[in-house]
Amino acid sequence: MNSANSINGRILGAENYQKLRNSRILLIGAGGIGCELLKNLVLMGFGEIDIVDLDTIDLSNLNRQFLFRQRDIKQSKSTTAVKAIEHVSNSKLTAHTGNIMDVETFPLSWFDRFSIIFNALDNLEARRYVNQMAQFLHKPLLESGTAGFDGYIQPIIPGSTECFDCTTKETPKTFPVCTIRSTPSQPIHCIVWAKNFLFAQLFASSASTVGESDLGTENPEEIKRIQQETNELHELQEYVKSGDESKITDIIRKVFVQDIEKLLAIEELWKTREKPVPLYDVEINDTINTDMSVIWSLQEQVNAFVLASKRLMRRMPGEGSIEFDKDDADTLEFVSTAANIRAHIFKLPQKSLFDIKQIAGNIIPAIATTNAIISGLSALASLRVLNLIRNQPEAKPTELNMAFTSKASNISSNRYISSPQLASPNPKCPVCSIARGVIHISSKTFETAKLSDLVDKIRDKYGFEDEVSVLDKSTQRLLADYDFKDLLDKSLSEVNLKHGVILSISDERCDVEELRCTTEFYLDDCEEKIGLRLPDIKVPLVKVAEPKKEDEDLDDAVETTTSGDIILDAVDVDENVKKRPLEDASFPPSKRIAEADEGITVILD
Amino acid sequence: MRSAKVLVVNLGALGTEITKCLVLSGVGSLSLIDSHDVDSQDLESQFFVGKTDVGSKRLDAAAPRIQDMNPRVELYFDKDDFRDKPDSYFQQFNLIVATDLHSADIMKLNAISRRFNLPLFVAGLNGLSGYIFVDLIQFDATDEKLKSSVATPLKQVSQNREVIEVIEFLNEEQNKVYEKIVTRNIYSPFEKMLQEGTLKGKLTRRQLKRLTNAVPLTLALLTYADGAAVISPPELREKAAEKCSQLGLPSENLQETYIEQFAEQAGLEFAPVAAVVGGAVAQDVINILGKKQSPLNNFIVLDGITLDMHIFEL
Repeated sequence: MNSANSINGRILGAENYQKLRNSRILLIGAGGIGCELLKNLVLMGFGEIDIVDLDTIDLSNLNRQFLFRQRDIKQSKSTTAVKAIEHVSNSKLTAHTGNIMDVETFPLSWFDRFSIIFNALDNLEARRYVNQMAQFLHKPLLESGTAGFDGYIQPIIPGSTECFDCTTKETPKTFPVCTIRSTPSQPIHCIVWAKNFLFAQLFASSASTVGESDLGTENPEEIKRIQQETNELHELQEYVKSGDESKITDIIRKVFVQDIEKLLAIEELWKTREKPVPLYDVEINDTINTDMSVIWSLQEQVNAFVLASKRLMRRMPGEGSIEFDKDDADTLEFVSTAANIRAHIFKLPQKSLFDIKQIAGNIIPAIATTNAIISGLSALASLRVLNLIRNQPEAKPTELNMAFTSKASNISSNRYISSPQLASPNPKCPVCSIARGVIHISSKTFETAKLSDLVDKIRDKYGFEDEVSVLDKSTQRLLADYDFKDLLDKSLSEVNLKHGVILSISDERCDVEELRCTTEFYLDDCEEKIGLRLPDIKVPLVKVAEPKKEDEDLDDAVETTTSGDIILDAVDVDENVKKRPLEDASFPPSKRIAEADEGITVILD
Repeated sequence: MRSAKVLVVNLGALGTEITKCLVLSGVGSLSLIDSHDVDSQDLESQFFVGKTDVGSKRLDAAAPRIQDMNPRVELYFDKDDFRDKPDSYFQQFNLIVATDLHSADIMKLNAISRRFNLPLFVAGLNGLSGYIFVDLIQFDATDEKLKSSVATPLKQVSQNREVIEVIEFLNEEQNKVYEKIVTRNIYSPFEKMLQEGTLKGKLTRRQLKRLTNAVPLTLALLTYADGAAVISPPELREKAAEKCSQLGLPSENLQETYIEQFAEQAGLEFAPVAAVVGGAVAQDVINILGKKQSPLNNFIVLDGITLDMHIFEL
């Protein structure tokens, strides 16, 4: 679409629109936020979009990741997402199936081709990694995240605004789908399985079921497998719908025997794990335990599972479908007993009904509408970061806005979204307060240069004294310091340095007032004839703070955020909050934090 | 939720986003009414139509893609102009979501929704900005909260909302006393909101001063009863200044760049704005069909530049 008759061109202005058509951007993640964001970025008309995801599509994705269908299950997320949006695309779309932290596929230089990076990730490790890459390249990064009805976006302008690591983040507990479906190793995995897979499939399922016609593959075995899986699922749902209570034993046989046998057949899974034991020879009798606070025997679990299933089946004709609710005794008992039976099969500890009520109540489902809202905000925020808004003076980085859900998160009653301006970098941030550069080094130089050659060159160029420590950040290995010099005479390859490694050099002198700033170097590839090239960066001297004072400062500057992924500190909390009696007290941040601390909060995506 | 019958009027960018969210959430039955043909500009903000559909009816192009997302949702497609429908047509639904309408049509639809006591959501896009208007007529919302040292009093909490019932209960797991608070939401009809809605006495002076221009400008655009092919910035400025005085905002805050932006972008659909506004509408529709927490009440404006999104009781 040329800019003359393009709506987007009219909105952004012809010149800005042309810039947008000429930009190449990177989207990391094709899950809940990623699917939505890809759709927005394609519709806006960005010229080239690369999308990376390592995952394949799972049944549980379908109720919110709107680019995926049942026929796409087990296919690559990024590839499928690209195919599903092609019908409206005027962008050059490239799908990558891989881990963004894989330095061989995605070296630092690869990130440099993009004008902006969008994170649509579900885990802290990858977010941190991409944040670091953005810091090396001074590349703008748009960070985003959702948990239930809570969500946020944060533009990160390296050197000018807070980076992802300027505030500490609590690790939200997320689990890979295969752990839940195939190889549980903790009771919580069984609870998530019972609630979000078994219960959801049998009673709640709002996810789409299979379309008969297009299975998206020509491979006869694949078609057979998909059809088999679909038929089995259908069969179970039909049992439930039929109201025939004698079928409950068939459900037990299917999920606790046959499915386990299928897993056992995949031998690789059990090389390093204890094998599960299918629930053979199950009997049903009248033994019932009603004490919510003790762990029931297997027999009591099975009996209660049957009774809960019967009660749910009787409710189905009237209700059509049933949502899990921890206060709904039938749904809770079904999930609790199913989780415990599965825990027994996998030889994991079981939990009381009371404990499971707590844990299952804290599993935060991913919400499609939150993802839609957050992806829209992320795409909008990128326009100002890239200075593509018409008639608007270029914003200083700290005039840009972050945004987070406010009403839905019970932070304010009169703001749907709050959008405070970005904060300056935290001077104590372990990631963005240090110096960074890229060392270009050819493959052959790893063989010919000794570690001491490299360290000496670095010391000379940036003014480090003799007392430095050299750390391989990627593996946290100490390579050299004042009393460990054994490796200095070895070649770079002998000490396992290679492309993609990050070296950290720290000034370790004592009793001085100023130290050379800690510096991290990314080792990137270059032509053989260049050999080794150090970056032209300045490594400043920084005043050594008095140790005690430093600790206090740190406490002030890095306020611990404990509400999962959502950054609630350092933002201008609505000034009206205190004046609003109802919403103020509903679920203020502090309350939610306390809740998150008490129980296990699980965020699914 | 699963027995609800929802009508979405117009399948533009907003209608598309709202439909996507409602279909994914498994709403019982969804009816779409739209008489437009697909034009090439639709492809910049709508994803249920494709490049090969230009010239055909939007609904014909979109229907298979919508149904494919969730075969369990009952879908009905009507290619008539909704303005040609008799009033009784709307009576079959539990809730109406209307998008991309001019004020005159909003008022007509609002009269019908009030006659049949139907909740109505109205949403529209103006380029980088978008708005939501909600008329649930009267709605009692139930929220739960931990009881503080003082019990929540029964009283008017704001112009449109009153706490009418507070029930204490013991949460046995936490051994703490909670309150179940029923808040009655009263809504203004669209016409009254547009002509009389004010922020006087509702915001602090600082808030009034910092309020985005998008609010008076959105209302000013809504005063064009049947829209306008071309909107002149001076005329829009005048209308916005009137709205400022109605709202109680200092009109000297109106910036030329915003006035020009709104004059040029009136009614234009932009995908990321549709995602935010459409997601917000769908979230609230799902919320009230499940009769859960306090619904939106009653006017919301997104400023797509600052990402500011306030809720106003007008």
